[in-house]
Amino acid sequence: MKRAARPFPILAILLVLALVVSVMAGSVFISPSALWQVIAAKIGGVPAAIDPSGVIGTILFKLRLPRAILLLLVGAALSGSGAAYQGLFRNPLADPFLIGVSSGAGLGAVVAMTIHWPYTTMGLMAIPLAAFAGALIAVLVVTQLARVGNSVPTTNLILAGVAVSSFASAITSLIMINTTGELRRAMVWLLGGSALSGWSPVLGVLPYVLLGCALLLTLGHSLNVMQFGDEQAQQLGIPVRRVRWLAIITATIATAAAVAFVGVIGFVGLVVPHILRMLWGGDYRRLLPLSMLGGGVLLLLTDTAARTIIAPQEIPVGIITALLGAPFFLWVLRRSKSQNYW
Amino acid sequence: MNKKLSIISLMVILTLAISGCAVPAPTTQPTAQPTAIPTQGPLEFTDGLGRMVTLSETPQRIISLAPSATEILYAVGAGAQMVGRDSFSNYPEEAKTLADVGGSMGSYSYEVVTSLNPDLVVAAEINTPEQVKALEDLGLTVYYIANPASLEGLHAILQTIGQITGHAETAATLVNSLKTRVEVVAAKTATVTTTPLVFYELDGSEPSKPWTAGPGTFIDQLIAEAGGKNVGSVLSGSWAQISAEELLLQNPQIILLGDAAYGTTPEQVAARAGWNTIDAVVNGKVYAFNDDLVSRPGPRLVDALEELSRFLHPELYQ
Repeated sequence: MKRAARPFPILAILLVLALVVSVMAGSVFISPSALWQVIAAKIGGVPAAIDPSGVIGTILFKLRLPRAILLLLVGAALSGSGAAYQGLFRNPLADPFLIGVSSGAGLGAVVAMTIHWPYTTMGLMAIPLAAFAGALIAVLVVTQLARVGNSVPTTNLILAGVAVSSFASAITSLIMINTTGELRRAMVWLLGGSALSGWSPVLGVLPYVLLGCALLLTLGHSLNVMQFGDEQAQQLGIPVRRVRWLAIITATIATAAAVAFVGVIGFVGLVVPHILRMLWGGDYRRLLPLSMLGGGVLLLLTDTAARTIIAPQEIPVGIITALLGAPFFLWVLRRSKSQNYW
Repeated sequence: MNKKLSIISLMVILTLAISGCAVPAPTTQPTAQPTAIPTQGPLEFTDGLGRMVTLSETPQRIISLAPSATEILYAVGAGAQMVGRDSFSNYPEEAKTLADVGGSMGSYSYEVVTSLNPDLVVAAEINTPEQVKALEDLGLTVYYIANPASLEGLHAILQTIGQITGHAETAATLVNSLKTRVEVVAAKTATVTTTPLVFYELDGSEPSKPWTAGPGTFIDQLIAEAGGKNVGSVLSGSWAQISAEELLLQNPQIILLGDAAYGTTPEQVAARAGWNTIDAVVNGKVYAFNDDLVSRPGPRLVDALEELSRFLHPELYQ
């Protein structure tokens, strides 16, 4: 496969462009010059015609910027975890939700929504915390169920993940049908419509995603070798069992934190690694960081679309990722010269 | 991982302790009754989430995030102070000319809200606490209306919104007229000798198990007040699907189509398998009903009561 272009500069430029577009576009358009003036006034104290604490400033610093950074982090967590799982399970259909994170988080969130929380900081944190806990519990249950003696066979893990996910989803649906009033809220959450805004969710997600992504990045070489199979990898000196646990734990924590705050956003974690693999090959040392960047870019762009297509309505971003992501994925797939990129 | 969890729980406990100190204990009184007229000093109100809402002056740029709140604001005479509304607010007609701040997919455009520069945002139970928090973080004043449990509860809400918007007198007049209208219906209903069984259809797109309103809903309450009995009152949930078999057994005398706005007609109902044996269908007592009247806890609940009374006991109005 030819390496026509340097992937990192391209993605970095795309990332900056996506960031600029996403803070400019929305139901209120902020022109590049206004954007520059407000930022200069805010950071450099340069006097500007536009008051940085006015409407434009509020929209920029309290709404768009935190949202953009949150989505960058979430996109990085989902795509990075997706790439790691695809390598770990040697399965092109693996996504970050393969072993139960999303359905566990969904169940936790919906259970928390049935309770009337007081309007305090803690009451507002109840749903993200319950989602986070639900995700961790679901993965814990899956890994325990899939365990055979000391090892966790890949196939068992996938099958247990599917079964536990279905079970959790069924309970979620049952609760949603039986509760009154909270159905809309639950639907929006399950479709990835971010509920909280401002900087607090960014701060909540940041440590988990940074830590998770950093740890995942150390696994590139091991995942490369593990493509030959676990036994060969073991013989080549890769601590297969430890790599597997590390990948599962870090991917779980990063994606659980991500979905806890913005809801379930599908497709990003599945498709971004594939697109990048088709373009630039399957070396995990490169694929993992590229996926993290690419996931951020894709989420930023789709969210900009979600905010602008039918403004002032906002479409849950999970719907847009699939609506725009699937055709793009198919386009890349059709164009891909090599039929056996995987 | 265990260490991480313990750190989280520590953070959680700390946050709890801090917020416990910072948040003032909600007063037991449901509503602070201001004695002063709105221009004199700041007014404090406890809203439906138990939050203290302080208004330094009468709001002049109000945004409503719920159809019920919009109807309440217009009814107390605050329509001229409104600058924005959610996508579902379609009553009264003037409300449609206000800026649309979104909401059809459960999320609002905070950007449009901010750019309208409101001095008060009125939310209702259709809105989540997270949304209230997000608006608060933008530095906006938010008043949250909890759904009333009864018509009396509605009166208190109307009066509070009247006080907040500087229309306490209009609100008091409105409440009195609503009370009088309810009393008129109650007096008429006291004379009836029959209690027709009523089926209220919320969504009949699955005729084998249509959605209906159960106990705890306004429609259930109002059907009883209008001298009828709601088929759904025996169900366990507020909103539930009832099997068509059960419906045929119960054999309601009147069917009200709350889903008429979505195109369901009495003719369609008559054509559903088995439904042609129901009394209401046989006697042609299947009526379209404007669900907005009962699904939005606002002053039009009384319109709903009057309309129900006419449908259930036409003999009172001859």
